[in-house]
Amino acid sequence: MKVVVCVKQIAQLGDEVEFTENERDVDRDFLDFALNEWDSYATEEALQLVERAGEGEVVVVTCGDDDAEEALRRCLAMGADRATRVAVEEQLEPIQVARALAEVVRGESPDLVLCGVQSADSVQAATGVALAELLGLPRVAVVTKVSLGDGVATVYRELEGGLVDVVEVDIPCVLTIQTGINEPRYATLRAIKQAEQKTIDVRERGDLGEPASRVRRMFVPPKGGGAEMLDGSPVEVAQRIKEIVEERLK
Amino acid sequence: MARDPKHDVLFEPIQIGPKTMKNRFYQIPHCNGFGSEKPMNQAYFRAMKAEGGYAAVCTEYCSIHPESDDTHRVSARLWDDGDIKNLGLMCDMLHEHGALAAAELWYGGPHAPCMETRSVPRAPSQIPSDFEHLTYPKEMDKDDIREVQGFYVAAAKRAREAGFDIVYVYGSHSYLPQQFLTPYYNKRTDEYGGSFENRARFWRETIEQVREAVGDDCAICVRMSTDMFMGEAGTQLERDCVPFVQLCDEIVDVWDINVSGISEWGEDATPSRFYESGRLLPWQARIKEVSSKPVLGVGRFTNPDVMVEAINSGKLDIIATCRPSISDPFLPKKIDEGRLDDIRECIGCNICISRWEIGGPPLICTQNATAGEEYRRGWHPERFEPAENADNDVLVVGSGPAGMECAMILGKRGMRRVHLVEAQDDMGGIMRWIPELPGLGEWARVVNYRKIQIDKLRNVEFIPNTELDAQGVKEYGAEIVVIATGGYWATDGLNGATHDTIPGADASQAWQLTPEQIMRDGKPVPGERVLIVDNDGYFMGVSLAEKLASEGKKVTLMTHLGHIAPYMHFTLEAPNQHRKLHQLGVEIVTYQMPTQLEEGKVTSAHVYDEEHLTEWDADAVVLVTQRRSNEALYRELKDSVGIDALREEGITGFYRIGDCEAPRLVADCVFSGHRLAREIDSENPEVPLPFKRERAVVEREAVLTA
Repeated sequence: MKVVVCVKQIAQLGDEVEFTENERDVDRDFLDFALNEWDSYATEEALQLVERAGEGEVVVVTCGDDDAEEALRRCLAMGADRATRVAVEEQLEPIQVARALAEVVRGESPDLVLCGVQSADSVQAATGVALAELLGLPRVAVVTKVSLGDGVATVYRELEGGLVDVVEVDIPCVLTIQTGINEPRYATLRAIKQAEQKTIDVRERGDLGEPASRVRRMFVPPKGGGAEMLDGSPVEVAQRIKEIVEERLK
Repeated sequence: MARDPKHDVLFEPIQIGPKTMKNRFYQIPHCNGFGSEKPMNQAYFRAMKAEGGYAAVCTEYCSIHPESDDTHRVSARLWDDGDIKNLGLMCDMLHEHGALAAAELWYGGPHAPCMETRSVPRAPSQIPSDFEHLTYPKEMDKDDIREVQGFYVAAAKRAREAGFDIVYVYGSHSYLPQQFLTPYYNKRTDEYGGSFENRARFWRETIEQVREAVGDDCAICVRMSTDMFMGEAGTQLERDCVPFVQLCDEIVDVWDINVSGISEWGEDATPSRFYESGRLLPWQARIKEVSSKPVLGVGRFTNPDVMVEAINSGKLDIIATCRPSISDPFLPKKIDEGRLDDIRECIGCNICISRWEIGGPPLICTQNATAGEEYRRGWHPERFEPAENADNDVLVVGSGPAGMECAMILGKRGMRRVHLVEAQDDMGGIMRWIPELPGLGEWARVVNYRKIQIDKLRNVEFIPNTELDAQGVKEYGAEIVVIATGGYWATDGLNGATHDTIPGADASQAWQLTPEQIMRDGKPVPGERVLIVDNDGYFMGVSLAEKLASEGKKVTLMTHLGHIAPYMHFTLEAPNQHRKLHQLGVEIVTYQMPTQLEEGKVTSAHVYDEEHLTEWDADAVVLVTQRRSNEALYRELKDSVGIDALREEGITGFYRIGDCEAPRLVADCVFSGHRLAREIDSENPEVPLPFKRERAVVEREAVLTA
């Protein structure tokens, strides 16, 4: 039983933000970094699946610079067996991330590939789905429960309005994991120290192709006018909103 | 970060007489236990607030003459040249930070028992104090009046010489000028008693004389209580205070407006249990309507939006804070820098005030462990030295007040990694359920502040839902281990009254309960009649009595003491708590100690007549007898695993803090965690480093040869 988990070291905004000189990114001095929350659930799910299977390994994969290894070490401290990083210096777009990861994942020939639903910093929910397409594997997004059978996985897929779709999917497949599916374990200080000593397999990047979109400029949205408070009965307030909307649409 | 422009008004300068305050933040007079006799502690304590952005900082009540001696309580004193020097240091340090220094000139009359000076206080009429025991004043004749007014003038001159910018003629809290104004104290029939004009005469003349003496150099402040809540006898807002302000507005530079007399001054220094922030605003606003001078006043303000509202709505000109400035001396600076998350908000527990009421000890604060430690331990509330052993990883087991504080301060001291591990699903320990007791909601700020800070610290990780055993601690991988597993209420009735258990006590039975069983575990309280055994004497017994009575139970609150909850007299919570329990029909039984608990029946003995037994019907018994340390994990690690085995695992430091060591006040739990973290790199962190003591050290030989 081999599970590959694709993870990301995400950026977190502090109280204050400044942009880089070219206005295409946030200045790194104003960012903290951490393992993406969704990916910690994906890692936990992988660990539990292997534990339930009684044998196997969990391989975590990321792409990024040296600092991104912190996310991998966090997963290693949780109990992942091996870690691979595709060396990339610049910020990538989801399709490029998927291309960078696909080669490594294919080489592992896993039984299952887990990703987080989305990353907390760019929030596009695209990488996992794109990866499945590149690998030619079936995929299920926003997964809240996984049980493995013989050659198939029974998967709960979260829908809007509290609905759940229960699907069977052939394995290998790609699942994007939703938060709350489990309770990610914490790493003891000893496990963190041991993870620091582990060797991470660093790979060269292949051809990542063109991005699907580009950042042209980042800026603080200009302040609008003050809010107008509407008083009155629901009917009066609704009437006033209608007038405002009609005025703006002119 | 930058200040939110909506708070700008708080940072506008304001003129008071000949002086200018650089912003609207004023530290109202409040006690700290230092007075003039611990001048270094006094100066460093007040200067911290000036560093934190206060535009003016006042002494505590400052005696003008040995006749006004409050010993056993500690006041400042301006009696002689030595006091000028000692308080002068405070003035100098305040001025270095651009703050004004204020002195609250005080003459106590009969409330000052003169236990050190053995003087006889003077008063408008010869009636003993309603606050202090057995203190009879001398009734003042005209010569006495002239003489005491002379004391005020002489003290004001000494205040000016010391460097004070603002000089009070302090009346509120039932001190001498207000005694003259108030029929309750003033029974005179001469021109200093009777009509409003006569009752106001002493105060007005005194203000005039002080102004004449120092008014060109110092701003004159008058602190007045605008309602004593005593009906006709007490000071009344419209009858006395509004006309007094109109009479004296020309000769006063700034009004400091509050309420209450001295015997129930919890109506002014309001515990959060009974009053929200801003409770005095209606009185302050009324004075503002009739005065052309700036009005300042307290209201336990911690929220800048509320402060702005008080100013913009014309209720106050200057935001005075007492307890919030103890809890966070950097309140103004944090608002100025837009760091509202970092404000350590006062919880209104009044544990600070309790130390003054007890008489003698320095103040303490539940939220701010550094309060009162600025000089003697050299602690700065906002600055933390990197620890010399910062390359260590620390495991803190238990996230109650002590564990949270310890982990937070270790994080701020830059330890490599701090893991705060908690068996429950969130941090807080006892402070998760204590704030659910009636009226104690604001106490949750102890948890909220620390949670936010810990979340910001990249080197501190909080790990919930994880109960570590000795093996787990040993193998966790930390170099330093701190056990903070808290305490619990005794389940067998063990208590400090009999130093024994109570026969029949066993909280594993359905009809016997401990506080945490009720509040934390939701154990149902059976039946209608509940008997609470309170040998603790602070808030737990009365809080549960209030809660259960509010829920419709018929509650009997039994204590071996002569009073229920005597410590709540010190926190000023007692009068309203008594009122509340009385209104809820709680039966108070004092001087009684249970001798036997049986289902449905409790037998008790009178503590001074043990043969005299009484039987009480009770469907449920709540045991508030004493607390015990939850030290199982600590003992197993120390005694079974052993320090040597821990060493072999690389654990070089092994400590315990808070209730796990010995049950104590929440303020002392926070202090315990803070102290260990501050001294984690000392030679033996288990033993507190000595603090600087301010005392005279004798020159033995010189004394003997003299």
